[in-house]
Amino acid sequence: MWIPIQLNEQSAEPLYHQIEVQLRAFIVSGQMPEGTLLPSIRELAQLTKCSVITVRRVYQDLENEGLLRTRQGTGTFVAKVDETLRDTQRRSTVIGAIEAAVDAGIRVHFTDEEMMEMLREVLGRKRAAEALTERQGAPTDEGGEPA
Amino acid sequence: MTTETAVAIEGLVQRRAHFELGPVDLNIPKGYVTAIVGPNGSGKSSLFRLMLGLARPDSGGVRLLGEQVRGEDRVSLKTRIGYVPEEAIDIEDRLSGEAKSAFVRQWYPGWDVNYYRELLRRFEVDPALKLGKMSKGMRRKFELSLAMAHHPELLLLDEPSSGLDPIAWKTMIDALHRFMERGDRTIVMASHIIDEVRRLADYIAFVAQGKVLGMYEKDALLEAWQTMYVDAGGRTLPWKEMPGYRSCDLAGGTTYKVVTEQAFEAEQWLAAAGAVLVSKRKLELDDILLNLTEHARGVY
Repeated sequence: MWIPIQLNEQSAEPLYHQIEVQLRAFIVSGQMPEGTLLPSIRELAQLTKCSVITVRRVYQDLENEGLLRTRQGTGTFVAKVDETLRDTQRRSTVIGAIEAAVDAGIRVHFTDEEMMEMLREVLGRKRAAEALTERQGAPTDEGGEPA
Repeated sequence: MTTETAVAIEGLVQRRAHFELGPVDLNIPKGYVTAIVGPNGSGKSSLFRLMLGLARPDSGGVRLLGEQVRGEDRVSLKTRIGYVPEEAIDIEDRLSGEAKSAFVRQWYPGWDVNYYRELLRRFEVDPALKLGKMSKGMRRKFELSLAMAHHPELLLLDEPSSGLDPIAWKTMIDALHRFMERGDRTIVMASHIIDEVRRLADYIAFVAQGKVLGMYEKDALLEAWQTMYVDAGGRTLPWKEMPGYRSCDLAGGTTYKVVTEQAFEAEQWLAAAGAVLVSKRKLELDDILLNLTEHARGVY
């Protein structure tokens, strides 16, 4: 199976961490529902140009978190994700992004009110765009303009 | 997970008038792809010949799949191995592909004719051609199909992609990944094609001037080697004490460009020294190789 994992090879962030974060997001968001068969370790290694050692480590970590389970001889599957776990994971992804935005704001000395205003503005713009694409029934692929 | 050893090389030395290999000590794990990477003339092919008992060492020895390699032909051991040499054997030029495979298959009880045919088809090889009439790339693909057709436990490939066009190269990479899918097979390949090593290898062993410079897990290696731009704030730091120190140049102003092979520890060292890490990026595999070989030559 194909998983749209995108790695930044130049980034100083370890590859196993990049794969793990993206895979966890696919599972927690429900994009990869319970029972989905994952690629074999060798296949994912080929896909990501990583060593099988790295991929095995990712699968093991996610198995320990209860997100994956391996059945001997058949492969690795997405496990049933506990609702509270899913909720915590959903929240923590967003909180992480907001923290990064807040750090950026604090660095250049914006006030709380200004930052709240910016968040409201961005939200308003995104929701409007969302409503528009839904009405047109157009593909929701962001930035889908021809090059 | 316990790791078995597929190839165990111990104290291996080969002395020739113009070249000395070793002493080499190297353990290659079973179930992985290990790339032997090094510049031309570093001893990669000699190492392969010694591994197969095609050349005799002056001292030391090699164990393949748990069996000691000696000069004499050990048919039982060789049926478990596939080998593609660097150069085609020119006395076979007048042989057709069919004739060679008919000869070779007799030696391998595990010969799988369907798999062999499938490989030829995927590689678009016409086995009716005489080997000498095949293009370099086609002959290479033919030899590779032949070496894989008996499902060897250990595949030894000396510069597997030499002469292959980009499409054939991709097909080969894919075929080798599929070959490894079962998890209990081993590939040892010599290569200086960096992209091939990136795509296939789990472990990398660097060789230069007849010596093994070290063996590393690929991703850990690529993460550990980094170039960092560091603002030392006008001070001079004892750079050579930085973990994994490789080089240091003044990049401009109070900023230094430092190269480390222990990125994680180096970063902590910099933080403790009160230096500001401006940016960092990973080195490419060829830069790491260059760094290691120059170091081995005593350039710095």
